[in-house]
Amino acid sequence: MKAGLRRGRIAGVRVTQAHHAPPPQPGSPPARLQTTPIQDQQIRVQGPAGSWWGSGGKAPSLALFFLLAVTPARAQVDIARPTLAAQISTRIVEITTGFTGAEILVFGAAERLLGGEMGDQVLVTVRGPRSPQVVRRRVEFFGIWLNGPSARFLDVPGFYAIAGTRPVWEVLPEEARAEGMLGLDTLPLLARGSQEPAFRAALLELKQEDGRWQEHAVPVEVSGGRLFLTRIPLPATVPTGPYLVEVLLVRDRRVVAQQTLNLEVRRVGTAAWISTVARQAPLLYGVACIVLAALAGWLGSVLFRRS
Amino acid sequence: MQVYLPIAEMSVDALLLLGMGFGVGWLSGMFGVGGGFLLTPLLILIGIPAPVAVASGANQTLGASVSGLIAQWRRGTVDPVMGGVLLAGGLAGSVAGVQLFALLRRAGQVDLAVSLFYVVVLGTVGALMVRESLRAILRRRRGGSGAPKYNEHTWLHGLPLKMRFRKSRLYISAIPPILVGFCIGVLSAIMGVGGGFMLVPAMIYLLGIPTAVVIGTSLFQVVFVAANVTLLQAWQVGSVDIVLTMMLLAGGVAGAQFGASMGAKLRGEETRALLGLLVLSVAIALLVDLVHTPSSLFAIGPIP
Repeated sequence: MKAGLRRGRIAGVRVTQAHHAPPPQPGSPPARLQTTPIQDQQIRVQGPAGSWWGSGGKAPSLALFFLLAVTPARAQVDIARPTLAAQISTRIVEITTGFTGAEILVFGAAERLLGGEMGDQVLVTVRGPRSPQVVRRRVEFFGIWLNGPSARFLDVPGFYAIAGTRPVWEVLPEEARAEGMLGLDTLPLLARGSQEPAFRAALLELKQEDGRWQEHAVPVEVSGGRLFLTRIPLPATVPTGPYLVEVLLVRDRRVVAQQTLNLEVRRVGTAAWISTVARQAPLLYGVACIVLAALAGWLGSVLFRRS
Repeated sequence: MQVYLPIAEMSVDALLLLGMGFGVGWLSGMFGVGGGFLLTPLLILIGIPAPVAVASGANQTLGASVSGLIAQWRRGTVDPVMGGVLLAGGLAGSVAGVQLFALLRRAGQVDLAVSLFYVVVLGTVGALMVRESLRAILRRRRGGSGAPKYNEHTWLHGLPLKMRFRKSRLYISAIPPILVGFCIGVLSAIMGVGGGFMLVPAMIYLLGIPTAVVIGTSLFQVVFVAANVTLLQAWQVGSVDIVLTMMLLAGGVAGAQFGASMGAKLRGEETRALLGLLVLSVAIALLVDLVHTPSSLFAIGPIP
C-alpha cells in the first residue's frame, strides 16, 4: 500500500525507463537499508513530459501516426540523458586509531537549473545503521540526581543527516516527507516503556547535540546552476556499519529523480583488531590486557628508575 | 593529538591522557598508593563512559602496582600467607562485585552507583586519614608519647579458624582478613581501584599487621585482585580499553618514579594528611556533581 503510493508519486511524472532496470524497491527506505542490497546507481529517469507532445498539433491524425511511429526512437534519445547524476567522495570511511571524525563530500549535477525559487531542488540524506537506544530521565531523589523512568527506542538510526538546497519542509509536502522519512520529525521513533513525548524530544535533542543527527546543519551548495555539492560531517562517535546516501531531485513539490549510493564506515588497523578480539574472544582479550599492563608497569619502572 | 579508543568508541586527546597518567602516577608514587581512586573519577570527568573508566582503571592499577610488588618481594616485605588469605577473600569479592556491576549496568544505574561508592568510601577514608594525621602532628608538636598501641586484644581474636602468619608475627583467625579482602574486592570491581588506600589502614588498625610488611602484602593483594577484575570486566562486561590503559600507564609509570623520590623527603604524618585531603576533595567533587542539577534532564545510551 505504502509502496504503491510511493511509486505512484514518483512515477506520476512518467518514468519512461529505469536505468538498469530494478523497479523502485518496495518498502520504506530504512527497511531497504537492512534487507536488500542497494544497487549502486538506481537512477529513475523522467522523460521531459510534454516537451514534444504538443509540437504536432496542426494535423492531428498525421501527427498521431507520426508520433506513434517515432516514439520509441525519440524516447531513446531523451532518456539516455539522466536528469540527475550524483557521486560521493569515498565509499569507505575508515576509523583508525587517529580517527577524529570525517567529512563526506556528496556532489553531482542535474539537467535543469538548480536552486533559487524556480529551479529544481536537491536533497541529500545519509542514514546509518539502526540500533536500539534507551532514554532515561534524571530525577531528584533526596537531593541526589539519579536515572529514573526510561523509554526504549528499538529502532533508531545511529546516524541521520539531511541537507538540501532549501529546507525539506519547504520543498516537499508533509505526506511525501513522512513516506520518505525526510526530516528528523518524520523518523518513526516508537518507544517501549514510557510513552511521554518528552523522551522522544530528548532523543532528538541529544542526538543532534553530539552531531549524530543533523537536519540542515550544512547547506547543499550550487555552482553554475547545474552542479551541486555538500559536505556531511561525521563525528568521531559515528557508529560503524553500512550507510545509505540518497540524493533526491525535487521539482514542483515532487521527487522526480533519485539516486542511492552506498557508504561503509568501518574500523581498520589496530582499532578494528582490538575491538574484534575484545568482542569475539573476551577471555583471551582479558588475559592479554593483564599481561600487557603488567609488562608495561614493569618496563616503565626499569626505564624510569631514579635510584 | 587525538587517539581513538576502540572500546570506548570515542577519541580523546592523547596528551591529556598522558598528562593525567603522569599526574596521578606522580601523586601515587609520592603517597605509595595505586592512584586508581583519582584516575577513575578523572576519566569519568573527561567523558569516558563509567564502565570503561572503571574497567580500564582496574587494568591500569594492575600495571602501576606490579613494579612495586616486584621491588617489595625482593626486599622480603611480602607476607605470602597473609597475602594469600586476603587474596582468597579478594577474588571472591571481585567476582561478586563484577556481578553487581553488570546488574547495575542493566538497571541503568552504574554512573550513580560508582559516584555514590566514591563519595561514601572516599569521604569516610579521607576524613579518617585527615583526623588521624592531624592528631599525630599535634601530638608531635606537644612532644607527647609515641604512637598509640593498636594490637590490643579484641573480640576479633576470639574467632575460630586461627592461623599462624609468620612474617606478620600474628596468630589470628583467618576470618577477619578474608572479610577485609572480600570488601576490598567488591570495591575494586565497582570503583576500578586497587584499594590500597583502604587496605593499608584496615591491615594496620583492624588486623594489627606490622607496618614493615603492610605495603608489600597489600600490593600483593591489589595486583591479583586488579588482574581478576580486569579479566572479569573484559569477559562479562566487555569494557576494558587496552589503548586507554596503555596511555595512562605510559604517563603513570614515569610519574610514579618522580613522585616516589619526592615522597621520600616528606614526613609520614604530613604525607598522610595531604593524601587524606586529596581523597576528601575527590569525594566532595563527586558529591557536588551528584547534587548539582544536571544540564540535561535526560540521558541516552545503548541498551546493554
